[in-house]
Amino acid sequence: MPIRIRGLWIHMAIIVLAALTIYPIVFMVVNAFKTGAETAASPFALPLHPLFNNFKLALQATWPAYRQSAFIVGVSVFGMLSSALLASYAFARLQFREREMLFYVVFGLLLIPPFLTLIPLFLEIKNLGLLDTPWGLILPYIAGGQAFAIFILRSFIRAIPEDLFEAARIDGAHDLRLFWHIAVPLSVPILITLAVLNVVGLWSDYILPSLVLNSAHETVAMAIANFVPPPQAPSINAFNQQLAAFTLSSIPLGVLFLFLMRYFVAGITSGALKM
Amino acid sequence: MAWSLPTPGSQISDIKKVNRRPGSGNPWTTRLIAYGFLLPTFAFVIGFSYYPAFRALIGAFTNWDGFNPPTWVGLSNFVQAFQDPIFLGSLWHVAVWTAVGIPLALIPPFIAAEMIFHVKSLRAQYLYRTIFVLSFVLPTVVSILIWQYIYEPSGVLNALLHVLGLTSLEHSWIGNPHLALGAVILMGFPWINAFNLLIYYAGLQSIPQEILDAAQMDGATGWDRIRSVDIPLVRSQTKLLLILSIIGVSQNLLVPLLMTSGGPGTSTTTPVFYMYQTAIQYDQYGYSMAIAFMLFAAVMVLAILNIRFFQSDTN
Repeated sequence: MPIRIRGLWIHMAIIVLAALTIYPIVFMVVNAFKTGAETAASPFALPLHPLFNNFKLALQATWPAYRQSAFIVGVSVFGMLSSALLASYAFARLQFREREMLFYVVFGLLLIPPFLTLIPLFLEIKNLGLLDTPWGLILPYIAGGQAFAIFILRSFIRAIPEDLFEAARIDGAHDLRLFWHIAVPLSVPILITLAVLNVVGLWSDYILPSLVLNSAHETVAMAIANFVPPPQAPSINAFNQQLAAFTLSSIPLGVLFLFLMRYFVAGITSGALKM
Repeated sequence: MAWSLPTPGSQISDIKKVNRRPGSGNPWTTRLIAYGFLLPTFAFVIGFSYYPAFRALIGAFTNWDGFNPPTWVGLSNFVQAFQDPIFLGSLWHVAVWTAVGIPLALIPPFIAAEMIFHVKSLRAQYLYRTIFVLSFVLPTVVSILIWQYIYEPSGVLNALLHVLGLTSLEHSWIGNPHLALGAVILMGFPWINAFNLLIYYAGLQSIPQEILDAAQMDGATGWDRIRSVDIPLVRSQTKLLLILSIIGVSQNLLVPLLMTSGGPGTSTTTPVFYMYQTAIQYDQYGYSMAIAFMLFAAVMVLAILNIRFFQSDTN
């Protein structure tokens, strides 16, 4: 009997902690459906008459930012993975004398913390005339993702059996064909994993975009942080509309996690990440 | 996160075959092809990673308004920094943040992991893990801004204190220079970081059953077992999280930037925020890069110390 009581106690403690942990999400969603007056009266109460209009106005105010973010993230991740895959093939499959040295040049990138390059990068983008263009973010994003992607892709491509390459080589295939017909198709699963990790990171990035882009070209993270309701919106509900915008901005990552949660949790808990 | 690492066997056969592979007689041809494959990556990382890093380290020794050419000033930016009360204050703030923030990043996730691990039903364990991981869905920007609202004078925290009848404890949490730093550091209650929780949970799962059985035979249950078995056996996880947390706290620009702008006054200004502010608001790019230089050096020293600590530990 005492064991049962102890078990119950643990369940209750976990539930309380879990509720407190996800409270910000609950607060966001619940108050996104309310009016400003209802939130002021009590931020805890449930909405009496759920106000879907907040979401309509929020989407209206942030829609251009979704298109901007989708373009920037899409092009960046595609460019980053393409060039990382090419480089990984060279590091994994080609024999040349400078290979080790050049690999350390890439590996050394992991020692450069993002804060160190933030300000000079901003000045560089400004001098190149790329302020207020998506390219001012895409080029640094492609560079920033290289080290980690190459690190992973190189060991993946190295693990492909050499027999596959040799058979194709006997048929007269050159390296570009070997890359395109063997290395690329076999790397698709790992490319998807890397793409997801990078999409998550870039989608919520705020600091560099806020320096590079003005409000006419803002990304989703900027649009929700500096939320401006559409002109016809009732300004008394501006905060609730902002919470609706927060909720909407969490949906893409929410959907991604819905499909990949099991996979993601398994990845971390498999014990691969420890020192 | 499910890539397979090359097995030792495949690597060995791989090397042998590469050495006698047909059609690679001319090393210059292979070299040319390799350089072609490496060209895009090197163009990007030299242009947008190494060049700005180099500019930052060199810029630390110059006076630069970001518009006119920089002029060489030697160490004067560093001398200026150690006479600048805002910079010295920021060092104190990041020291407090680290001293409080690191235990908060490690202890609550460990406790939560222990609690979940002690639940009998595996199905319930999976459910609880999933609920905690749900917080990943919220973009960082959103969770910071929600916490900003929780701390506002008419926000959630004061409303809660009001409901509990503790009106004398109501404060303008991030508007009061004496409370702002504490409020910013304590943001995220109950501090159960999902990533850290999963790392500890994995560590507990990897403790061999024989050790747990032996501990039980010796009568070590509950707190005794946690203290004498669990904590020592998740040391490697603790070290990993320690490094990641130190790096995370020292580089945390987003929280002061979005929540407090370093204020009120300079009460929540950290070195990395001051680096941002001196460049972006005051156009003192040389001074900003000197601050970045010192922060970079500090992070490097901490990383090296950690690696040393590791090596001596594994030997």
